[in-house]
Amino acid sequence: MPDPRVTGSIRYAQDVELDGMLHARILRSPYPHARVQRLDASAVPDGVVVLTPDAVRDLHRYGCQIQDQTVLAADEVRFAGDPVAAVAAPTKREAEEALNFIAVEYEELPAVFDPVEAVAQEAPLVHAHHYISENDAAYFGMRPVDGTNICHRFCIRHGNVADGFGQADVVVEETYHVAGAQHAPMEPHAALARWSGDGRLEVWTGTQTPFNLRMDLAGIFGLPEDRVRIICPPMGGSFGAKTFVRLEAIVACLARKAGRPVKAVLERNEEWLTLNRHPATVRVALGARKDGTMVAKRVECWVDTGAYADCGPGVAQKMGFASPGPYRIPHVWVDSHCVYTNLPPNGAFRGYGAMQSIWASERTMDLLAKRLGMDPLELRLRNLLHDGDLYCTGEMMHDVHFEECLRAAADAIGWSENRQGKGLCVLLKGMQTPSRASIVVEAENDDTYTIRCATAEMGQGAHRSIRLLAAELLKVDPERVSFPDPDTDLVPYDTRTTSSRSTYMMGRALVSAVRDLEIDGKRGCGEVVDQGGLDPDTGQGIASSHWHQGAAGAEVDVDEETGKINVRRVHASIYAGRVVNRPGAELQNEGSMIMSLGTALFEGIVFENGQTTNANLSDYNIPASDDMPVLTHELLEREGAAIHGLGETALPPIPAAIGNALYSQGIHVTDLPMTPEVVLDAIDRSSDQSSAVSSQLSGASSNEPDRMRNVARREPDTQGEKS
Amino acid sequence: MKIHFTVNGVPSEVEARPDAMLLDVLRREMRLTSVRETCRIGVCGACTALVNGKLISTCIFLAPMAEGAEITTVEGLGGSHPVQRAFEEAHAFQCGYCTPGMILTAKDLLDENPRPSDHEIQLALSGNLCRCGCYVKIVEAVKIAATRLTWLHHTSSGTSRAR
Repeated sequence: MPDPRVTGSIRYAQDVELDGMLHARILRSPYPHARVQRLDASAVPDGVVVLTPDAVRDLHRYGCQIQDQTVLAADEVRFAGDPVAAVAAPTKREAEEALNFIAVEYEELPAVFDPVEAVAQEAPLVHAHHYISENDAAYFGMRPVDGTNICHRFCIRHGNVADGFGQADVVVEETYHVAGAQHAPMEPHAALARWSGDGRLEVWTGTQTPFNLRMDLAGIFGLPEDRVRIICPPMGGSFGAKTFVRLEAIVACLARKAGRPVKAVLERNEEWLTLNRHPATVRVALGARKDGTMVAKRVECWVDTGAYADCGPGVAQKMGFASPGPYRIPHVWVDSHCVYTNLPPNGAFRGYGAMQSIWASERTMDLLAKRLGMDPLELRLRNLLHDGDLYCTGEMMHDVHFEECLRAAADAIGWSENRQGKGLCVLLKGMQTPSRASIVVEAENDDTYTIRCATAEMGQGAHRSIRLLAAELLKVDPERVSFPDPDTDLVPYDTRTTSSRSTYMMGRALVSAVRDLEIDGKRGCGEVVDQGGLDPDTGQGIASSHWHQGAAGAEVDVDEETGKINVRRVHASIYAGRVVNRPGAELQNEGSMIMSLGTALFEGIVFENGQTTNANLSDYNIPASDDMPVLTHELLEREGAAIHGLGETALPPIPAAIGNALYSQGIHVTDLPMTPEVVLDAIDRSSDQSSAVSSQLSGASSNEPDRMRNVARREPDTQGEKS
Repeated sequence: MKIHFTVNGVPSEVEARPDAMLLDVLRREMRLTSVRETCRIGVCGACTALVNGKLISTCIFLAPMAEGAEITTVEGLGGSHPVQRAFEEAHAFQCGYCTPGMILTAKDLLDENPRPSDHEIQLALSGNLCRCGCYVKIVEAVKIAATRLTWLHHTSSGTSRAR
């Protein structure tokens, strides 16, 4: 049988249909922050089902980490694109036309569009109160600061950073910015909801988080969780976009009102209004002795989560604990703030915050190398973590392969021959911890087996990997193992399909399930629980039960007239431990690297007064086949090693490797993406002054924007007091 | 209005609004879901079909303009067309959403240029976006298909080269 992907017969959520279903469209706020004064839907033609804020006022608030969302924005809209009403009609066109008959009057309110400005005392508040979610996606202590736009603050306090900087011979400091990005899965978000006769809610939707979604939907409608069923067809890409509640609550409300199934498929521009990657500002100060031994590091992150928190607190936390990097540093101080603004919400995106802080931290490593007159590779090797070292979270590092990855990447780009135009980056990235995975294997009468598992398939190949692992354990041909689409009525609980955790977690749960099946004969269940987590106030604990590790090298030319970067080659060396599904693993590396080229060179959402100005695939470019440089990679394996997740490890190191390759040519870029304009600015700056790097901890570096200096002045006590 | 065309070899008549795009007619009326709805502005290639042998972004092609046309979608290739088999062999997809458009574009390239260079392949496919980033293996797939098609062409006087 040919693969359904080459015949086109695969059915995504976008293709699911039910008899009598209606099509939904959403009316969105044109203003980034406004009070809804009046909403009149009385002119909507007969036969069209309308959902207004009044109809959903009695429903509960939701949000996977902070309960800050309602099904429709009731009295206040918080970003340009916030849903204020929805309609359902027999055709999409009728639904679209019906939107024109809803009259809304707004009173504009002051808005804020930058995460650093949003923490200022005079900034308008996006939410008056912060309600912590009871969803199990709120897996760590939330630290919202009431009366501010900060919905979470994660800190690491390790050693005494003031003493540490006192011991430093050299201190470098710099501030970096990373633009927002759009996941742009080729299949847009799509969801279909139906209420059965006995009042159960059934939803077909492309989602990476079926159980978190079930929990939030049950909460919204005040139902026991088993009265909600989530069925997950394969996704046409997701990259973090199809997580938690997106369209599902709106279509469920419409379906309940209509008494018929209702489906929604987003228009492409609406993807930019639904979920994006967090823009971030990251400030790094790094101190070392003359011999290159790192002694202290201070990192501050301002993570722009947009108008609703979504999993922004988790992203800020991961950005925070990835920021020290894979190094032994005796004194570390990290503050990572998740901040509301009046921009569209930001959430999970392949790399999950790690990319933003790795960009900042690994660029800073090369600044330090230059100040010390050291080879950037030597500087890294001198400080890398090894087995048995303590990370700044207090956890002992195990199964550590940073040095192998870094040396392999350096070798691949010929580092020892010539370093001009070349750059390196090494990274550590955590996996969702704590984490729970369960799986059932059923033996059928015809000597075939069925996997019951919540792991969602979005193209990453997890179903194939799990089938291959099951076939190996069951000693049968993989063709005899089937893996139906996840359905919360039929599969056991799983944390979610995120964080490159599925093959690692489910692979281990499978071992117990198959053992259990051998005893039972008919059905085997297996579960794996990885304990851990961090104290959000000190950053101490277990950040990750297993670490994603890798390194990258890049070689670039720059046209100094136009600022255009020509990436000659990129290479990634990623620790795999054991490869289960080789083509799948290669595709994950290649896909991560290609996606990261967009992040590095041209992808950035442009906002003007809170309006998204490039919400289409013409103004917002994603990498095409002719954007590919020479692209190579390797999967490092070790005999008898544990499986390591691979879904995103090769993404975060590429931008910094490219940035460092530019720096080797004297061009110091702090902002992503490195568009020709950004590169030209950097060239101008480097000709204006010999160094972009300050030598004193207390002084902001010369190219820092004014608003950063303001923040530095506002918070000196905080920095001193807790260090 | 009524529109007549031949889709994957089957003469068809459909009722459509004069302003309907061919994409919507193929997806909704003909149930050909390999033709995918993504960018709506003709830049991503996911809605590609061959119309009278030409690669067309059906999301910006008015359905009435297809009157009398011969239309091929991936459903019309069966499942064992050399390009389809090469994509499977090279594992040249992840989510598979862009794959039908990629396969039609690759087929069109190889019909025109049976021995393309890597660079020519990359250029020819640059109007088909793959967000999973499978381009390395997609280029491999097109090279495998090129070899196979050339071989088929030489050994059976070209008759077995799928059109």
